[in-house]
Amino acid sequence: MQVRATGATTTAQPAQAVAPANKARGRRLGYTLTNWLGFLPFFLFCLLFELLPAVMIIQSSFLDSTTNAFTLNNFQRMFTEPDKLHAFQNSILLSLISAIISAVVGFLVAYAIYNLRTGWLRNLLVGFASVAANFAGVPLAFAFVSTVGVTGYVTILLLNWFHIDLYNSLNFSLYTFWGLVLVYCYFLLPLMVLVTLPALEGLRPEWREAATNLGASRLTYWRKVGLPVLLPSLIAATTLLFANAFAAFATAYSLAQGNINLVPIQISFVVNGNVDMDPGLGNAMSVGMMVVLILVVLLYTAMLRRASKWQGR
Amino acid sequence: MNTRSANGTALQAERTAQGKKPRQGTGFGLDKVVLILVAIYFLVPLATTLVFGLSDGSSFSMNGVTSIFGDADFTGTLLLSLELAIASTLLTVLLVTPTAYWVQLRLPRAHPLMDILALVPFAVPAIVMAFGLIEIYSASTPLINVLSLGLVPFLTNVVNIVNTPPLLVCAYVIIALPFVYRPIDNNLRAINTRVLTEAASSLGCGWWRTFLTIILPNIWPGVISAALLTFSTAMGEFTLASLFGLYTFPIYLNVTGQNDAHKAASLTILSFLITLLCVLGIMLLARVGRGGAGKTRQLDIVVAK
Repeated sequence: MQVRATGATTTAQPAQAVAPANKARGRRLGYTLTNWLGFLPFFLFCLLFELLPAVMIIQSSFLDSTTNAFTLNNFQRMFTEPDKLHAFQNSILLSLISAIISAVVGFLVAYAIYNLRTGWLRNLLVGFASVAANFAGVPLAFAFVSTVGVTGYVTILLLNWFHIDLYNSLNFSLYTFWGLVLVYCYFLLPLMVLVTLPALEGLRPEWREAATNLGASRLTYWRKVGLPVLLPSLIAATTLLFANAFAAFATAYSLAQGNINLVPIQISFVVNGNVDMDPGLGNAMSVGMMVVLILVVLLYTAMLRRASKWQGR
Repeated sequence: MNTRSANGTALQAERTAQGKKPRQGTGFGLDKVVLILVAIYFLVPLATTLVFGLSDGSSFSMNGVTSIFGDADFTGTLLLSLELAIASTLLTVLLVTPTAYWVQLRLPRAHPLMDILALVPFAVPAIVMAFGLIEIYSASTPLINVLSLGLVPFLTNVVNIVNTPPLLVCAYVIIALPFVYRPIDNNLRAINTRVLTEAASSLGCGWWRTFLTIILPNIWPGVISAALLTFSTAMGEFTLASLFGLYTFPIYLNVTGQNDAHKAASLTILSFLITLLCVLGIMLLARVGRGGAGKTRQLDIVVAK
């Protein structure tokens, strides 16, 4: 009897405790629900205008554009038609070359700015880099047309003063691959400078002191300490430049009016109703673009994570 | 002994001086040469564009500039671009700032999701996004209709949003996300959101009032740089507007440039000035507020196109 009574009390006690716990859990659930509800407007917006367009592209790339049946034909054509493969080759090569040139030169420029001891000059250069990094697209194309286009100021000047014919004897043209590299560097290089400066400032003076105390020369310090620490940041920056160049459309389109074969220009043909392209192929090429960029973004975030190891505190 | 130690300390002092100031470059190095060459590369196109825009083939003339102001297309497209830019700036700030604060305060678990949402525009370039938006809002599929909770059919059939300025504004907000979320989030992380909110709340301040009068002034630099970057991007955006068939300022610039290079050069100078004003605005206005994010500030001026 007594045993039973104690048994009853022991079972009753948890039961009593469960009720408030349940209530608390309910309240917490309500709290969590309100929390997520506050996030909902933003998420719905992103869903409608950011995520679903991508989903739609991926879905349509596997559908036949006339019958709406499942097919891998779009991708097969993308990989077999030389025109489309060539577009990918051009786009990747163009972005890679512009990104690497901008990364190397941009790093040297960032290093020069980092070494500057005049504060106002440094601020001026950083400010100018911000403007130049934001100055892309159509205006940039026309700035270069008025400089080294067929009737550009510098082209004419070189011809009249030095008898250097850029277009006919040097075989240069602004409206081709290398012309685009020249233009792309104009907005990629300042971006590199802006991204690299904070990384350079993250180099601790103590490391240099330690290296110098151990007898390292400037060169040895950079080779053994400076560059290895900076390398992840530099690779991350280069991938950022690559992604920027790869996605760029306006500059190339405005310069060459579709005469240069790049992936974004091929995709724009679909919307503009060019006969060579049908929506299915356009979707497949868009997916191809996204795949390249996702790989780049993954590399970018991995490198950033590695870089943050040295920037801690 | 005495001289040795004195020498030793002198040497040490010299070493620490070197260590503290590793920036003592040895005169005119490779980096300075590169800096000057790059400066030429950057200044020449700007200078020639200015000369080109203010000349008429051979001599100085303001014809290019005056003919622009007489052009009805110029005022029309510039006004449309201004409207689009102002609308996207307002919508971006209104949408992202409260959400970032909310996530910081009440929903830290959603941080990774926010980071992903802010990264997606990198992987989906403007051209692909334009293509996807046109596909969705002109001929959607059942999968999309279900995934969007019925909002896509609503926007397609009732609002008829495809190829309209409102859709363009929404697209600009998404394009701006990567460089809008980061400065705002950096600023939010730099201040103690929770303590500020709790203090305000214990004094009887409601959520919105806390946000507007306490949080917002503290993250002002981030909001300003986010807003001006969005504005500058929307003013110069070409890809989406051209695929949507909307006649904005960059499209007008492109059309003009195919016929009249001098006029295009004048318009290019104008776009450069708009960008310059936005960046100057960020540098000046963001400095007025308290420095929260510190060194990361420089990164906030970067735009990915």
